[in-house]
Order: sequence, then structure tokens, then C-alpha cells
Amino acid sequence: MFELDQRIAEQLTQVALNSAVQVRVGTANSFMVTASTMIPLMQMFEMGGVYISASRGAVEIIQAFEAIGVDVSHIQFIDLVSSGILGGTDVSYSNVHFVDSPIMLESILLRTLYVLRTMDSQRNFVFLDSVNALAIYNDDRMLAEYLHTFINTFRQREVLTVILNVPDQTPPLVLSNLDTYCTDIVDRGQVVIL
Amino acid sequence: MQPTTVYTRDRCVTGIHGLDEILRGGIPYGSTVLAAGTCGSGKTTLGMEFLVRGALAGEACAHFTATEPSVKLLENIRQYAFFDMNMVDSGLINVFDMDVLYSWLGLDKASFELDDVHALIKAIVDIVNTIGVTRLVIDSVTTLCYKIKSEQLIRDFLFTLGKKLATLGCTTILISEITSATENAHWSSFGVEEAIADGIIVMGDSERMGHLLRFLQVVKMRGTSHSRAKHAIELTPLGVMLTPMLKWGASADKTSRWGQ
Repeated sequence: MFELDQRIAEQLTQVALNSAVQVRVGTANSFMVTASTMIPLMQMFEMGGVYISASRGAVEIIQAFEAIGVDVSHIQFIDLVSSGILGGTDVSYSNVHFVDSPIMLESILLRTLYVLRTMDSQRNFVFLDSVNALAIYNDDRMLAEYLHTFINTFRQREVLTVILNVPDQTPPLVLSNLDTYCTDIVDRGQVVIL
Repeated sequence: MQPTTVYTRDRCVTGIHGLDEILRGGIPYGSTVLAAGTCGSGKTTLGMEFLVRGALAGEACAHFTATEPSVKLLENIRQYAFFDMNMVDSGLINVFDMDVLYSWLGLDKASFELDDVHALIKAIVDIVNTIGVTRLVIDSVTTLCYKIKSEQLIRDFLFTLGKKLATLGCTTILISEITSATENAHWSSFGVEEAIADGIIVMGDSERMGHLLRFLQVVKMRGTSHSRAKHAIELTPLGVMLTPMLKWGASADKTSRWGQ
């Protein structure tokens, strides 16, 4: 039985649309926290959204949601991983878009803005999965600058920004910038084993 | 102290996402703008979107194509959601093949002399005047000027054409093909177009770790203050979209193979 962290949904009731939420996860609880964040946004708050997948291919994420009985067909996915794999872009889902590489940071921003413009929903979120995956390919200073632009772009447009990161895999400069620019934090980065 | 009234020129609002912001409201009416770019940088798309946005606002627009047949141009542009073939059918967008125009004028020759150039200017101006065109794109001025052998004649051609079109209130984009979009590059093939133009928009590619990132930069635009920063662009089905390029990205980027 897949159990969601209900406290995340409670915390999300307190955030405004123009907020930027930093979600800290561990490597073991990443999908549970992702689902616990995404499901309330989609089902409780009836929001549309764009999911940017830099850590895994979009199809893998869609199938993980399907496996727990969650329909994500109205969420648009921007996949930064699969173009780097021969045949990776040959997918049957119409809600998956591709950017060539996680180093094309400006293209990711523009593609997200484009996808948002095509969506019917009035209230939307952008879910970035994840900063530590982007840090594999991008220089710390460039990534810090990018996140600053990224967060402010969507805050200005009243699009809720959710930024996932594994703190011990994220460069300190980037992490401290996230602390500065994000308005809220959901901290599940320390996994306590009872 | 009384505030001073600041005179601002009326603008041709391009309607292109982000470009009007860079230009602080649009291109000053009647300007001749050189859109210089390397191959595949999005010049033709930019030019077509400029016309389509004008047509959507009810303006009559014209596109003179010298690089590809009009049928092929229209087929390529149909993939964009902002384009509607009715704009062509209703006469809001008028596409002219330069080869056909040359035939009409009896200019089926390898190079143009002074009289030929004047005949060409008169033909373009007559079309603009007759249809009441307010937005014009010539794609490309490079291909057109290949037929004009003298640099002085090219200068006269562009200067006279720009002046006459401005008098008619027509805002013009001259598309120029260049092989390099680096800091030290010429923004035109013949080195004279850039001096004549009221504005210069440069388009090219930056290479970042083996990937090409399209960029656009407004180098010059008379009659308006404007951003001179490099902007990344994406050609989406909704049209051209821009965002400022990352400042720290510049150290990771290098000039593309077109920019050697």
C-alpha cells in the first residue's frame, strides 16, 4: 500500500499561487514526496501543471503515477533525459515534450512558458525534478542564476513553482540561493528509519 | 519643476513574444530593419510572424521571397498555430516570388545595372502603394543583392527603397544571410546594408557543450531605447519566444561553427 505524506497537503493549503516551494527529499523517499506534493495540487486544488523531468524520463514518472492509480494525463511533461538516449523520444504519451539536454536551460524555460500558454487551466504549477539532476550538467553559478530567473519568471506569472532537490547532491551555492529565493520549504530531506 | 514631455515615436507593435519588450514597445513606424542571421537561426520565421501578427491586427502585409518558392514558404509556415491560410486568401498577406517579379520586369539577367535597380524599386514601391502595405519583409536582401554587382549600387538601392517605403508608412524587415554572428562580424553580406538600416537584429547560434542554442540580439534601433542583451529564442508552434540568455552561460558557450 502506497502511503502519502498528508502533512505536505496541509502545508500546501497555506501557499499562494505566486509562491516558490522548495521540496527537499532523500534518495529513498523521492517518489513518495513527489506524489504527496503533486496529488493535492492536481486533485485538491484542481490545478494544471508542467512537470520538468531531469532526473528520469517522463514515461517512467507517468508509469509510476499510473501504478499508484493516479491519472496524470492532464499534466504536461517536459523530458530533459530521453533525447540523450537513442530511441528515447519514441513514446506513446501525447503529453510529453522533449528538450535536447539539461544544459539547454533557457530552452527549458521557454518550452515551459510555451506549454503553459497552450493549457486551458487557470491555475497552474511548474514542478522541477530536480535541481540536483540539473547540477550534474551545469556549472554552479549558471544554475544559481538560472533558478533565480526561473523562480521569478513563474512567480511574476502567478504560477506555483515547486522545486525538488536532494540537498546532499546539490552544490552549496545553489542550495543557499534556493533558500533565499523560495518562499516556502517542505523538508523531507532527512529520512528517519525507525 | 514641470515634468518635461518626452517625445516618443509611434510604434509598429511586432506582436512577437518578448521582442516588443526588448524594443520598449515595438519598431518605430516606417523603419527599415535588417534581420541578419546565420542559417537556421529563425530569420524567416521571425519575418513571417511579424507579418502574421500584422495581418491579425488587420494590416496589409507583403513578403518578397528570393530564397525559396512561395508555395514552399507557405507550406513551412502552416505548421505554426498563429498562421491561417485565410490571411493569404483574403489578401492580408501577399507573398511574391522574386523570380516571377524579375520575369514581369524583364530582368532575367545575371546582374543588374542602374536602370534595372530603379525598375525593381519602382515595382516594389508600386505593389506596396497599391495594396496599402504597412509591413513588408524581403527574404533575403542578400540573395537579391547578389545580382547587383557594385557596392555603390547596392547602397543606392537599399537607401532609396528604405526611404520610399518609410514615406509610405511601411515598416520593413530586410532579411540578411550571414555566416558569422560573432561580436566582430559584419551584420550583412555586402557591408553596406547595416549602414543604411534603421535597426539591426542579429540572430545566430551559441554552442553549449555540443548543443546549439538560438539567440537574438537587437544591436541597433533608431528612435527607441532598447535592450542590447542577448536573448535565447525558441521557435514554437505559437511563434518565436524569447528570454534573456544566462550571463554565466556566456562563459560556457562558444561560438558555433558558423561563427569561425
